[in-house]
Amino acid sequence: MRAPRSVDIAITARCNARCLYCYHFDTPGMAYDDLPTAEWLTFFEELGRLGVMDVILAGGEPFLRPDFEELLAGVVAARMRFSVLSNGALLTDEMAAYIAATGRCNGVQISVDGPAAAVHDAARGAGSFEGAVRALGILRRHGVPRQVRVTVHHFNVDHLEATAELLLDELGLPSFGTNAAGYLGSCKVHADGLQLTVEERERAMRSLVAIEQRYPGRVTATAGPLADARMWARMSAAREAGAPAFGNGGRLTACGCPWTKLAVLADGSVTPCTLLPHLVLGHVNRDDLGELWRSHPVLQAHRARSQTPLDAFEFCAGCEYVPYCTGNCPGPAYTLTGEVDHPSPDSCLRDFLAVGGSLVDGSRA
Amino acid sequence: MEPSDKVIANPVVVLREEFDDWAVLYNPDTAHAVGVNPTAVTVWKLLDGRRSVADVVRAAVGSYASVPEGAEADVESVLTRLVDEGFAGVEGAG
Repeated sequence: MRAPRSVDIAITARCNARCLYCYHFDTPGMAYDDLPTAEWLTFFEELGRLGVMDVILAGGEPFLRPDFEELLAGVVAARMRFSVLSNGALLTDEMAAYIAATGRCNGVQISVDGPAAAVHDAARGAGSFEGAVRALGILRRHGVPRQVRVTVHHFNVDHLEATAELLLDELGLPSFGTNAAGYLGSCKVHADGLQLTVEERERAMRSLVAIEQRYPGRVTATAGPLADARMWARMSAAREAGAPAFGNGGRLTACGCPWTKLAVLADGSVTPCTLLPHLVLGHVNRDDLGELWRSHPVLQAHRARSQTPLDAFEFCAGCEYVPYCTGNCPGPAYTLTGEVDHPSPDSCLRDFLAVGGSLVDGSRA
Repeated sequence: MEPSDKVIANPVVVLREEFDDWAVLYNPDTAHAVGVNPTAVTVWKLLDGRRSVADVVRAAVGSYASVPEGAEADVESVLTRLVDEGFAGVEGAG
């Protein structure tokens, strides 16, 4: 591709919340200054010229920007679509009406971590549940596509079924996505009491697999307990059957982002991903984004990561799952090992089993 | 479409050209995208609203040193599909 298809943008570094597991705060290398409006609008024009198809506007909390409507107008003028990732607390009727009127919104994603304030607010702060649910109502009234992400952690692992009932039955969402509090940003500070233990992880997998069976096709995951349950079930079955290696197995192939997207931090720093803010490729409106995309050596190296064999790592030595393993996300790989080009211990099946974890029956193959 | 109809590219549609001369036409208003081959890219770039269908067919075919039999019909087919899928419009058509 001559240009990224999509760009993840931290449109502001500021946030009205301080979630215990936030990847944005407490991250070395992360930018905490905001670009002014004019700089973003100039950058959006460049994205339009490059044929970028959509931007994901996150932060921080995007609705904190007083110029957010103006920024969306810039996205629309540049012939792109957009998504917004928000905690919902600051969404107004007026803003939802504006978003709906653009006709370009792929969705506004609101974080919901529990079926009630007592669960949701435990990691996200007092009052945040009310704001999130209220925002989902506003979006529904205005016909804006709604998305929800449930981040699974110590405080909500035993409330996932009730959370699914709230989202799918009561609030009428078509589906919701799941993830887990990962060893990134603020979560590193609170990891001991927040991240899932092995037992909790197993309970989360069991619960999410059951929810998926109850609501077929309405629970999604690209990482976290449900994704692990699915992937590990496939890997385990393949190993037991002595199946040939997966097409993408045995190498660091898990991350497809370097072929489709880039990230931009709040200060305009361009990086391969918001989870790798220390890998600065350049800066918006100073560097040619197309040139960075096509030629930057760090990005080229990041793409070459997919050719790196897992059996070259001491970490994977003797592992029977290597032919079926993709090495998982480079974000937690970096925060856990200090190396981007390393398999992530966070999603290692062998490690999970070694510390007493067991797989969940019924995981979708 | 009649040979005299003038076809114009939908101004909101984005042409994402790739390394191998193939491309993606993308309508951000509908999120509809379609992959197009180099010939269709050539046709797309001719849709300035001043050329008629016949002009576009002639110019597209003429831009290649040698063309297979039936190339004119293929170009017309591309034009029809672009119009049918909203990537282009016929000037003056309701």
